[in-house]
Amino acid sequence: MKELKRTIAIGALLFLLPWILFAESREVYLSDETLCDQIANYTTDIRLDTERNLIIGSELLTWTNTSEKPTETMWFHLYWNAFQNNMSTFIRERALEGRPIPQFSKDDWGYCRVSSINMIKIEAEEVFDLTPFMEFRQPDDNNILDQTVFTVELPEPLEPGQTVTLQIDFHAKVPRPISRTGVYKDYYFIAQWFPKVGVYQDGIWNCHQYHAHSEYFADYGTYDVKITLPSSYIVGATGEQREKKVNGDGTTTYRFVQHSVHDFAWTASPHFRVHRETFQFAPGNSTEITLLLQPYHKRLKDRYMNAVKHAIKYASLWYGNYPYTTVTCVDPAYNSHSGGMEYPTFFTGGAYFLDPPGSGSPESVTIHEFGHGYFFGLVGSNEFEHAWMDEGLTSFLDTEIYYTAYGQPYMTKRYFGIPFLFKNAPIPIELDEYQGVSGYRRMSDRDDMQRFSWQFMNGESYTANVYFKAELMLRTLKRYLGPEIFARMIKDYSEKWWCAHPKPKDFYDTVAAHAGQDMSWFLDQFIYGSENLDYAVTAIENRKPRRPKGWFDGIYRERAQDQFSPPAYESEVLVRRLGGVCIPVDVLIVFEDGRELREHWDGQYRWKKFIYSGPVGIKQAIVDPDFKLVLDINRTNNSWVVEPEGLSPWKWTSTWLLWLQYALECLKFFGS
Amino acid sequence: MKFWINFLKGFHLTRKTARLVLLLFVINLIAALILAIPMYNSLKDSFGHSLVGNRMAKGFDTLWWEEFHDQSEGFEQTFTPFILGKGAILENLEMLVQIKFFELPPIIIIFGLAYILLHTFLAGGILAVFNKEPPRFSMTTFLSDAAHYFLRFFLITLVSWIFFFGLTGSLNHWFNSIVNRVAEHAFSEITPFYISLFFNLITFFLILLFRMVFDYSRIAIVADSEKNILKAVATAIGFVIKNPGSTLSLFYTVFAANVVVTLFFNLVRSFIPQTNAVGVLSAFIFQQMFIFAVVWVRCWLYASQLELYKYIPKEV
Repeated sequence: MKELKRTIAIGALLFLLPWILFAESREVYLSDETLCDQIANYTTDIRLDTERNLIIGSELLTWTNTSEKPTETMWFHLYWNAFQNNMSTFIRERALEGRPIPQFSKDDWGYCRVSSINMIKIEAEEVFDLTPFMEFRQPDDNNILDQTVFTVELPEPLEPGQTVTLQIDFHAKVPRPISRTGVYKDYYFIAQWFPKVGVYQDGIWNCHQYHAHSEYFADYGTYDVKITLPSSYIVGATGEQREKKVNGDGTTTYRFVQHSVHDFAWTASPHFRVHRETFQFAPGNSTEITLLLQPYHKRLKDRYMNAVKHAIKYASLWYGNYPYTTVTCVDPAYNSHSGGMEYPTFFTGGAYFLDPPGSGSPESVTIHEFGHGYFFGLVGSNEFEHAWMDEGLTSFLDTEIYYTAYGQPYMTKRYFGIPFLFKNAPIPIELDEYQGVSGYRRMSDRDDMQRFSWQFMNGESYTANVYFKAELMLRTLKRYLGPEIFARMIKDYSEKWWCAHPKPKDFYDTVAAHAGQDMSWFLDQFIYGSENLDYAVTAIENRKPRRPKGWFDGIYRERAQDQFSPPAYESEVLVRRLGGVCIPVDVLIVFEDGRELREHWDGQYRWKKFIYSGPVGIKQAIVDPDFKLVLDINRTNNSWVVEPEGLSPWKWTSTWLLWLQYALECLKFFGS
Repeated sequence: MKFWINFLKGFHLTRKTARLVLLLFVINLIAALILAIPMYNSLKDSFGHSLVGNRMAKGFDTLWWEEFHDQSEGFEQTFTPFILGKGAILENLEMLVQIKFFELPPIIIIFGLAYILLHTFLAGGILAVFNKEPPRFSMTTFLSDAAHYFLRFFLITLVSWIFFFGLTGSLNHWFNSIVNRVAEHAFSEITPFYISLFFNLITFFLILLFRMVFDYSRIAIVADSEKNILKAVATAIGFVIKNPGSTLSLFYTVFAANVVVTLFFNLVRSFIPQTNAVGVLSAFIFQQMFIFAVVWVRCWLYASQLELYKYIPKEV
């Protein structure tokens, strides 16, 4: 590892040299202290042509082989080519699922074209043109019309620890908004827009095509990006704004720099209302929050800002101090389809101008997208291959923070475009922010949680497993281990794996270390399994014991008499495991005299009877009384009351009756 | 102030025929109970022996509801948190204005159509009661009058559907396409919101207007013994056009009374705790008083309109 770090340091030094040799008056930023190994460093200079919606520029990529094996090729993403026609894998997969195919005119499609790739050899002061060695690849589906991944052959193998410097000239056509990128009117949201090197891991290139349901994976590095565009635009981006230079030709150049990140996204619009605040989230730790707000959402300013603050504060407390000096929250423009997405130090929220407090919007999405900064950003989970390790953990984070900061949200519905809050119907945390449990219940047996993103049965199953089931699994784990152990575990997992691209096994190891036991038996059932979890109390019987009758010889007569001591009860509780998932569970028995008894069942066999005899019968029984198993798909059958409450059906039928009676009166409009 | 006199007269007439209002209310209740019984059974089955029943006695358990919703089908799907409190009114109002009744489960649509048919039948009896001098209600006469006018009223209903579903439905469709087009190119969601709200108001106004016109068509059939339904519709349209002030003022005053009743009901009902049998019974009784009031207001409107129609001299 020391050797590796040394070679990375040399690599970083070499990173400076090409600019001295080949660039004109370019300043290069490199932090003295970086959080992560700077493996893929980009110095980019681009110009946004707002007339033609084109991005034209070049990037200087300095990349270090951190694997133990040499490589003869380099793999790159060209994500925007997913939007260049309707035959890309991205569009095809959407179409196969029955989702609408974008009705784009020729001018609406977007792409990214590499004009040239030159390898710069510093020591030899040589430049190799690698452009002829570019080749599009389709590692996932052999769709020859998909051009979202390309490779270049290197003139000679790049040995472990060696660094290569490539100058890539490119131009990219900004598409109409699609998949959180594009231009709508004069609002630009630019993400996944530049030729981006894949990840060389364990001697294999991890560089997947752009799929309908997959997100991203990249190595850490320093991004030093200059963006030139018309001066009327306000710009926000990943990292710190280091410069703003008015060029005199009606354009302005912004320079953003950030180390220890694995992506760079930016936005531009003349309409942003910019709000900045420095927020001290822990003693000695602060960050500058920038909120880029749409003018028509000005009433939501404080709610956005407070949500970001809550997110930073609690995430720092629970997952490690937020390490960057900036964070930018973008309120996406209407129709831009750029809401609810995360990039390092930069994310988009999303809101409707009338969203009332208590509806969860825009707070929930704001917290969620900020939270990605941990499991997508800092931890660097592979979203192509282990999407749950980002989405699931982030969903868990966002729910925990939301409920801590705001309490329960309420069911909300819009009538005539006006949102109404139903305070009679709060959404408990176990419900996973409304529809989470429902989605999981419908889809949990379709797929395992651990699948490559594009290999899920459909989008609904992807969402249900990767987001909902993963979050519910974590909440179940939290309640199973106890909040203290879980808190230590999740913080340790987060901090330990910063900048390290953990895999599921690493998560397993962290859980085991804190649980004090191998937890594979628990995790496997959810991560690599698709069985349901459903425990139920299916019967309680209170019986008077039978008076001894028949032939009893000698001592057996006395024994039988001893056992029968009226008016005692014989009571029996039948608990069943209706699902395939098996987790030890508690059963709470409440007797008619108020006495409580807590039993433990290993859940191994399909059912268990608990039998008691005593002066009174059983009043009720609850399996999983502490609601630890949030993943239980049917909570209603978890309890059994001998004498059920008779009022509820009357009460709710009466409530529904009113709706129906009023509906009938409204229907009369059409007949009398 | 023609409308004001007839507004009061209508109220007086309705008061004098309170038994009629009671009958219509009972019909509403019985009709609703036909579906409420299976709903009661579904809820009872779902609560079963579970502690959920206890929780639902105290408040609304959203966790249970999602399970119920995921497992249920048909008319049970209409049991949502959005029927609570103001939701019961808003859900129906939006369905009315945006003609969304056809999105309801088929069993409720079929039931609703049967209910419309039943009220098409009853409308003849109602107007005949108010048309009598002095107004009086007897079940035999009521039913025989209802049967007497039924065919013509049924045809009127069919014609009205051309306006309600054909015209308003097409208009809604057109409005929606305009809103979608505007939304597609709008700078913010605010523009489509206000346009949509404006269109909803227009639609609502039109639905009310059509209702008023067809009320007068039925009135013309009863008051003028008009046999030709198209002539009745034409007479009604002519009447409304010639007397826009009186007809609209009367209609909207009664409509305002409906709004007041609804607001009052929603306000008061929220204070009735339904955590025990007395609370549930009180809420039920109060709900029925509300529906009775709604039925009353509908009869009041008919009576007032009939009075106005008779009050204003016709051209010979």
